Amino acid sequence: MSGYRTKGGIVEREHRLSFSFDGRDYSGFAGDTLASALLASGETLFGRSFKYHRPRGVVAAGPEEPNALVEMRKGARREPNTKATVAELYDGLEASSQNRFPSLKFDVGAINSLLSPFFVAGFYYKTFMWPASFWETIYEPAIRRAAGLGHASDEPDPDTYEKAYAFCDVLVIGSGPAGLAAALAAGRSGARVILADEDFALGGRLNAERYEVDGMAGHAFASRAVEELRSLPNVTVMARTTVFGAYDGREFGLVERVADHLPVPLKHQPRQRLWRVVTKRAVLAAGSYERPIPFGGNDRPGVMLASAVRTYLNRYGVAPGRRVAIFTTSDDGWQTARDCLAAGVEVSAVVDARSEISQELYDFAVREGVRRFVGAEVVATSGRQALSAMTVIDRTGEPHEIATDCLAVSGGFNPNLYITTHLGGRPKWSDAIHAFTPGSKPSHIHVAGAANGEFSLAGAFRTGAEAGSEAAGAAGFEGGRFESVRTSEDAVSLSPLWHVTRSRQKAFVDFQHDVTVFDVGLAKQEGFRSVELLKRYTTLGMATDQGKMSAVNGHAIMAALTGKPMEEVGTTVSRPPHTPVTLAAFAGPYRGKHFQPTRRTASHRWAEAQGASFVEAGLWMRADMFAKAGETDWMDTVAREVKAVRGSVGFCDVSTLGKIDIQGEDAGELLNRVYINGFAKLAVGKARYGMMLREDGFAFDDGTTARFAEDHFVMSTTTANAGPVMQHLEYCRQVLWPELDVQIVSVTEQWAQYAVAGPNARKVLERLFADVVDVSNEALPFMGVKAFRWKGLPARIFRISFSGELAYEIAVPTRYGEALAKAVMEAGREWNIVPYGTEALGVMRIEKGHVAGPELNGQTTAADLGMGRMMSSKKDFVGRVLSNRSGMTDPDRPAVVGLRSVSPRERLRAGSHVLAKGAEARIENDEGYVTSAAYSPTVGGWIGLGLVRKGPDRIGEIVRAYDPVRGGDVEVEICSPHQVDPEGTRLHG
Amino acid sequence: MAEIQLTSVEAFDGLLKPVGDVRPAGVRVRERSTLALATVMVRKGRRADLANRFSDAFGCALPDAGRRTEGNDLAFVSTGPGAWLACREHGGYEFSESLAETLSGLASVTDQSDAFAVLSLSGPRVKAVLAKGVFLDLGDAAFPEGHAAATQCGHVGVTLWRRPADEAGDPVYEVAMFRSYAESFWHWLSTSAAEYGLTVERAG
Repeated sequence: MSGYRTKGGIVEREHRLSFSFDGRDYSGFAGDTLASALLASGETLFGRSFKYHRPRGVVAAGPEEPNALVEMRKGARREPNTKATVAELYDGLEASSQNRFPSLKFDVGAINSLLSPFFVAGFYYKTFMWPASFWETIYEPAIRRAAGLGHASDEPDPDTYEKAYAFCDVLVIGSGPAGLAAALAAGRSGARVILADEDFALGGRLNAERYEVDGMAGHAFASRAVEELRSLPNVTVMARTTVFGAYDGREFGLVERVADHLPVPLKHQPRQRLWRVVTKRAVLAAGSYERPIPFGGNDRPGVMLASAVRTYLNRYGVAPGRRVAIFTTSDDGWQTARDCLAAGVEVSAVVDARSEISQELYDFAVREGVRRFVGAEVVATSGRQALSAMTVIDRTGEPHEIATDCLAVSGGFNPNLYITTHLGGRPKWSDAIHAFTPGSKPSHIHVAGAANGEFSLAGAFRTGAEAGSEAAGAAGFEGGRFESVRTSEDAVSLSPLWHVTRSRQKAFVDFQHDVTVFDVGLAKQEGFRSVELLKRYTTLGMATDQGKMSAVNGHAIMAALTGKPMEEVGTTVSRPPHTPVTLAAFAGPYRGKHFQPTRRTASHRWAEAQGASFVEAGLWMRADMFAKAGETDWMDTVAREVKAVRGSVGFCDVSTLGKIDIQGEDAGELLNRVYINGFAKLAVGKARYGMMLREDGFAFDDGTTARFAEDHFVMSTTTANAGPVMQHLEYCRQVLWPELDVQIVSVTEQWAQYAVAGPNARKVLERLFADVVDVSNEALPFMGVKAFRWKGLPARIFRISFSGELAYEIAVPTRYGEALAKAVMEAGREWNIVPYGTEALGVMRIEKGHVAGPELNGQTTAADLGMGRMMSSKKDFVGRVLSNRSGMTDPDRPAVVGLRSVSPRERLRAGSHVLAKGAEARIENDEGYVTSAAYSPTVGGWIGLGLVRKGPDRIGEIVRAYDPVRGGDVEVEICSPHQVDPEGTRLHG
Repeated sequence: MAEIQLTSVEAFDGLLKPVGDVRPAGVRVRERSTLALATVMVRKGRRADLANRFSDAFGCALPDAGRRTEGNDLAFVSTGPGAWLACREHGGYEFSESLAETLSGLASVTDQSDAFAVLSLSGPRVKAVLAKGVFLDLGDAAFPEGHAAATQCGHVGVTLWRRPADEAGDPVYEVAMFRSYAESFWHWLSTSAAEYGLTVERAG
């Protein structure tokens, strides 16, 4: 217990909040993060490290935090790996530590620390190599149990997520001094500006330092600037919004945490919203991340970044310790000493690794009585589960043991330039600031402030203003200004210290993945020297923090080991997302049944009321059967529907089939070129069955096309191929034959269409259309079509049949679809008409040998499907040339035949392999397979269609339908596909 | 048998209802069920003639890509190369027939009155709602009155155009989609508009 609340900070002290961590109750203030509130309550232990389960505390005060990862919330909302440093406190917040068992203070996994000589870099690669058989059964499950950080909830997420799009002229990333200056400069020009910051409090370091700007406190200046920005109608200010990636097309990915700071989202409020922002220009003003210094025991809870200590002091009014020590390589570290003293916190020592410090710092130390070590290093720390002392070796080599419960470390700053690398930009090393700065980058991204290596406050304002004006100007908005401001001075002089070589204790480079200085050395020793291989081998820079604090230190250590300059060693670049984004945000509202849209036909609700069940056909929902009360077996329902159609009359919704309106002088010519059979000479008032091939010669789709006028056809396609056929025709007319005068448009949705089928079908039509249209066999023979007016509506009748019965399809405008269904039902009452679904439809088409999806599977030719002779030799058509390839015309190819069970009651299943009788069930003996199977109430047994080698030559042969998956082995007779009414007399009835 | 009565059912029948806090509503929705629609596609090589016929017969120009123009008592929305969606209030099924006659030999005309469901969306927050589904810049400069687009809203393909502002001065958009998607579109609209409040205006 060492941290406590001071008098300072900008938290709302009148607004107290209660929360719990690991089941214990705490309180904090509005404006706190979980980390600041826990530190204020004296907590130092936040989590356990990934590999060695070492006790860990808070290191940072922002999204770079590697240690303080917690599980937030309970039950279905449980969410692992939340950084306590960015978790905005709310009343009732519940959090728990992770990666420990049974408790944070006593964790059995810590035994790994004793075994650490074995757990060095490359441990997995070296240890779990053999025996290979152990991998799946023993190694992987064990590793999976031990690995991973935190546990996701197993329950469905109860919250909603949204996606949204925005367009602007200038996107400003970060609301610190540079970002505010950029947003004001761009905003005042009239450009559309979006200012996004991941923090809930806008202002960046203005909130975290004791800056003075234009005579007021930095945070007050920030509030005033934000107020002005919010007052501009062309500026959108987005707090709690992380810009996580730069993408092609000047697009950026943002995630807005709409309700993460609430126990549950408000009514109608999403939890998070994913934004895709397209902008002409972007200003990256994302600041920098402070570097820790790898020294012995540098991971002990209580060792923190110096800038984080200042953030806790100045923003949250929290002293992270009672006796703060500072280990620095720069003047910036000394600012922490000043801030501690200003807050009344004792400074036990300042250790500066540089051999000299300025007179001003010297005077300050003397004046304030601060114990100082110049040219010295911290080599070790001590304390059980929390820091209690450190060992300093001074410039003479003398060790000193100094009591401290908070060691603030400052190893310099790395510009937060990740966004500039997402599109392939490479950072470049700067010897001036001893850090990587944006190098090559997309031209639409401007960088300002600390993100560009400009670490001074005045410089941040100045470069921010320049970038904002420049970005707006490039977007076509001139004249935006942000006047220079008077600022307090801040010190930035630095000499880097990449690691303390005299340390004996483990010195951590990457806290989250327990990568030590020793591991980097091992990687070098074993030849993994490039920064990418170093990452792969040691896991340096992996996991949730992606090495924001650690990567550059690791690369610098490698540079020292290999004796290469930093610009040659380079650094790793990153991909989006910059910080983790929950998958739910990417899914947005499109999950569960809303993963894709659903299409419903006009009579969907009517069918529901008739007891229909539905099946998905692409996006469409189609009635598959209409079960009646008392029908318990679905096969009974289907058999009843089939018998009703074959015995009297039934009707079926066929609205989902594709319908394409084709007009123009050359409409017939287009059809001639896409179908294998002739269409140009089709008579007006007639329909014809057509088959089309793909360019590669395989069968594509089939259907009937009707001619309503010399220059007007209506094509029908299968439901599944409605879109692809439309696309194909567009391709043909726009790309292949632009010289043709032909216009096509989908009319699938314009017409509700029903098949009325059965021996009594004509009687039903006569009743419906008595005085309107003559439907007699003479006036409307098989394959005849009529367009007419019916009760003021355009209506069409097509005498076509899929069931093999006397059948018609009736079409009316869709909004009258339900009315037509009801009218057909009423008109057919005398003949006990029934609605039937796709199952009965399927049975009847198998009985008739009509091919459908299972046969039109993209691997069959027209000849395979029994339509070889339909292929016209008098004209060219799409697919003709390639359909003549030898493999396509091989007489041994499997072709469509009918199949029927020798014992009619024996169930035949689609997917069964066809084997010659007596042949062993081996793949070499495979002769084809059953494509479709059904129980036929008409035949009185199980029948099917199959693709069988030389099938049409083998009519009458008995073969085996072998189904090892479901244990089927049925003797079937090969027969004609036309198992019912092979002469087609019913069609013409 | 009783005389057959045919009753129409609109695409959004039974779907549209108020959502969220509607005092006042951020978004207003109205199904445009009285709009007759037809696709007009220019015949090969007749574009100039078609443009002349447009100006003679309707007093308007052929709209360019991404535009909507209004003629005497009808409007045309550009939907693709050489293709337009013609709209006439209360045009009925005669609309496409008379249009086909007027444009005979110059364009192919196809009735689409029932193929598309059209919603009018308006209100002070309508842009914020559309921003959740349409990946287009709908700002006043980029997409003013008279602009049109064939795009997606949520996962549903739509044709979208902007009408003059309403009496309250709020922007008005009309969104046409294939009618079978009505339920899915409503799911998107009702959830996206909930935080602003949505009211339903009488169809027409």
